[in-house]
Amino acid sequence: MATDSATDFTLDSAAALAADEHGAIEGRSPWLLAWRRLRRNYVALAALALFIVIVVTCALAGPYAKHVAKTGPNVGHLGETFTRDGQQVQVVSKGGFVNGKFIAGGIPVGPQLWHAGGRYVFGADQQGRDVAVRLLYGGLNSLKIGIGSAIVCMVFALVLALLSGYYGGWVDWVISRVFDLIWAFPVLLLAIALGTALAINGFHHFGINIEGGSLWIPVIVISFVLIPYVARPLRGQILSLREKEFIEAAQAQGASPLRVMFAELLPNVASSFLVFFALMIANNILTESGLSFLGAGVQPPNPSWGTLIDDGSDRLVTAPWLTIIPGIAIVLTVLSLNIFGDGLRDALDPRAKVRIER
Amino acid sequence: MTKRSTIRSVGALALVSALAFLAGCGGGGGDKSSSDNTGGSSNGGKTYPVLRIVLDSPDYMDPQLYYTVEAYQWMSYVWTGLVGYTHKSGPEGGQLQPYLAEAMPKISADGKDYKFTLRQNLKYSNGKPVKASDFKYSIERAFKMDSPGVGFFGEIKGVGGSGGFAETKKGHISGIITNDSKRTIEIQLDQPRGDFLYILALEFAHIVPTGTPASDQSTHPIPSTGPYMLKSYTPNRGFELVRNPNFNGQIPTIPKGAPDRLVASIVSDPVASYQRVVQNKADFDFNQVPNDRLPEAQNKFGDQLRIYTNANTYYFALNNKIPPFNNIDARRAVNYGIDREAIISGIYGGLGRPTQNFLPPGYLQYKKINAYTFDLAKAKQLVQKSGTAGQSVDVYGPNSGLSKQVTEYLAGQLQKIGYKPKLRLLGDQVYFQTIGNQATKAQAMFTDWYQDYPHPLDWFDVLLNGNRITQTHNNNPGNVDVPAVNKEIEALKKEPNLNADINNRWAKVDHDLMVTHSTTVPYMNISGTNFFSSEMDMSCYSFHVVVYWDWGVSCKK
Repeated sequence: MATDSATDFTLDSAAALAADEHGAIEGRSPWLLAWRRLRRNYVALAALALFIVIVVTCALAGPYAKHVAKTGPNVGHLGETFTRDGQQVQVVSKGGFVNGKFIAGGIPVGPQLWHAGGRYVFGADQQGRDVAVRLLYGGLNSLKIGIGSAIVCMVFALVLALLSGYYGGWVDWVISRVFDLIWAFPVLLLAIALGTALAINGFHHFGINIEGGSLWIPVIVISFVLIPYVARPLRGQILSLREKEFIEAAQAQGASPLRVMFAELLPNVASSFLVFFALMIANNILTESGLSFLGAGVQPPNPSWGTLIDDGSDRLVTAPWLTIIPGIAIVLTVLSLNIFGDGLRDALDPRAKVRIER
Repeated sequence: MTKRSTIRSVGALALVSALAFLAGCGGGGGDKSSSDNTGGSSNGGKTYPVLRIVLDSPDYMDPQLYYTVEAYQWMSYVWTGLVGYTHKSGPEGGQLQPYLAEAMPKISADGKDYKFTLRQNLKYSNGKPVKASDFKYSIERAFKMDSPGVGFFGEIKGVGGSGGFAETKKGHISGIITNDSKRTIEIQLDQPRGDFLYILALEFAHIVPTGTPASDQSTHPIPSTGPYMLKSYTPNRGFELVRNPNFNGQIPTIPKGAPDRLVASIVSDPVASYQRVVQNKADFDFNQVPNDRLPEAQNKFGDQLRIYTNANTYYFALNNKIPPFNNIDARRAVNYGIDREAIISGIYGGLGRPTQNFLPPGYLQYKKINAYTFDLAKAKQLVQKSGTAGQSVDVYGPNSGLSKQVTEYLAGQLQKIGYKPKLRLLGDQVYFQTIGNQATKAQAMFTDWYQDYPHPLDWFDVLLNGNRITQTHNNNPGNVDVPAVNKEIEALKKEPNLNADINNRWAKVDHDLMVTHSTTVPYMNISGTNFFSSEMDMSCYSFHVVVYWDWGVSCKK
């Protein structure tokens, strides 16, 4: 739907397209049309660029840790010093009782930017770990979980929605009741419960062995609890599409159910699927951060943006950078994905109103 | 049995054994924020209208049930036992005095028979007389309620064994003989235990009227014998203490109390409770001042802040039974591989004192151990020498707060010295239960211990006596089991007095376990904070070895 908003744009009319192509109207695939709409949405493209920058930066965590900061993400430097402008500086300030007098300590060094030769660019945490290194590794973990869980969730949701929507009847009833069951739990509480239960001992059933500290645990937990939220709207679309003439035509030509589902129905929900996917990544990064903050996501000492905020929450007054920096990273990532997701939705299906709503 | 700090809940039950009454031995003391001065111990009998405190939730308000400092610090002036502590700061505070008993008991030569006589005309806060049989009822009530303290009474005759009261909870405990008309109480033990009087000073042995229901009465205040009575308690909201109208100085060995009223508000968030005191909306913050606010508290409110180190030890338990820490060089490596000063300075904000002893300072049996200097290279060498390098180690710890951080530190150091640590962080409520279960097979873990009463048995017998290792609820999660030391602990249990020779033997036990066998990795005696509003007169501040801040002798400006 066209609006006056600066971030929205108008639906291309045939006349406009014709004018654009010097009067010659040629057949255009829906994907090409979508791309044409998207490339004119500069805000969405800027958001995509920002997201790509974030991904690439996080992907460079290893080289940064090795060649710039020269320390690993989980290596503590309590009790150590580093050189800043030729002077020795405590990584974490010393405290304790000196001649009977108490001195409050434990304040980690703040952001050094480039004054310490690449070490502690964003400061240190209470264990004396380099926040910049942990931020990059944490981002990598958060992105892996966000993207991984979005893929797992979308694939399962799509398959279940196709089965449910195409077959209807008892298949639809069973799948819908399972969705109802999952939906009956508050999503975050269910995720916390599952995450906590699996965080320690892992998952060892049905021939699948996942260790407790594995990133697969939050991936599975997040994708499991969010499946109904994606599958329900897709199922609704498929139920509607199933009644269309082109489906009847395909069936009349002897197409198998699998062919109808994947060759006829799937392309028609692909745009919704893609929009959902972008928004799901943002949503899942937020969910992961929440779970990790509560101790039910990424397990220490592995970093994620959520665990970084948790680690810094005890030091809001004396070391605010510990929470502010990963917080900014989350905001930028989620914002970029949401803006790009909205742009993608507008480009793929300007009439659609796809939202992840809980 | 013990109080554990991080969760302030009950560990597994422990039966402590020894012979006869032991002279008090203090455990630590309070520190003024700017000096080691503990301040005065008396307020000169001054009173004031109301003391307003903020604290975390107490567990219960029933003497046979409560076991947290949140309750004990206040309720020690409400319900009382036959004996109790001297209300003085410093080591003197660890000495026992007759409370409801008119004198210290007569103890038989074999240390198995204690005879008390109650003071005359004792009354509960409801005006009813205190009877000798109430003591027996109170102990039996503890068993009927599955009190966390029943383990302490296991050696009273008729309690243990098949058909004993602990099992049947029917009839009466044969080892407690009372006579209401003569006000006498005789307690017979199966075997002597030197710390028994300390056990009688525990809250679980405090006296309640016969007929008090054998169920949690927290919200139905039980009549009390001390200078105060519980007026009301609303869980998660607060409680109020008022003066006991029938006290009339009936226990001359306990202070009469300074405030006429104590109003307690439950505020679990330490930042919120700190702010309440800063704004003078409360007079005392029970919660630890958050490390984040400590510099501010010290700089702006230094006169209102007191820092104390009570009798506690924080240590890493290493499982002596299974690889890699069934190897002494591997255990030594960990002792060399952790930087105690850095832990305290960095993680605890300086609130603690490094230690290599298991017994905390302040005990007469304490002899400072200085065997391990932080040396990563030496630690790595020892790991190589032990042949355990590269082995996987499951490191257990609580999943929140500073305990989590120190567990992460341990895992980090284990990695640095050559192991492959796997962190396993658990919720506070299940943590000690999990590591106390042999099936968990925890290899290295965070743990701590706070004294129940000032006696070395409460440390070595409960925590490191290999004869007391259990399959579940194991208080010795490191499975420390050194036969020669076990034998010495058993022998020391039977010693009636803590003279210089016995103290030296206890010190040797500490040295043997921590250095000769390097069984465990003690690293800190943690310090706590007492933070007061500007309305409190700090010249009356008194820190008690068991009660902590002795509010009964406090005063206001």
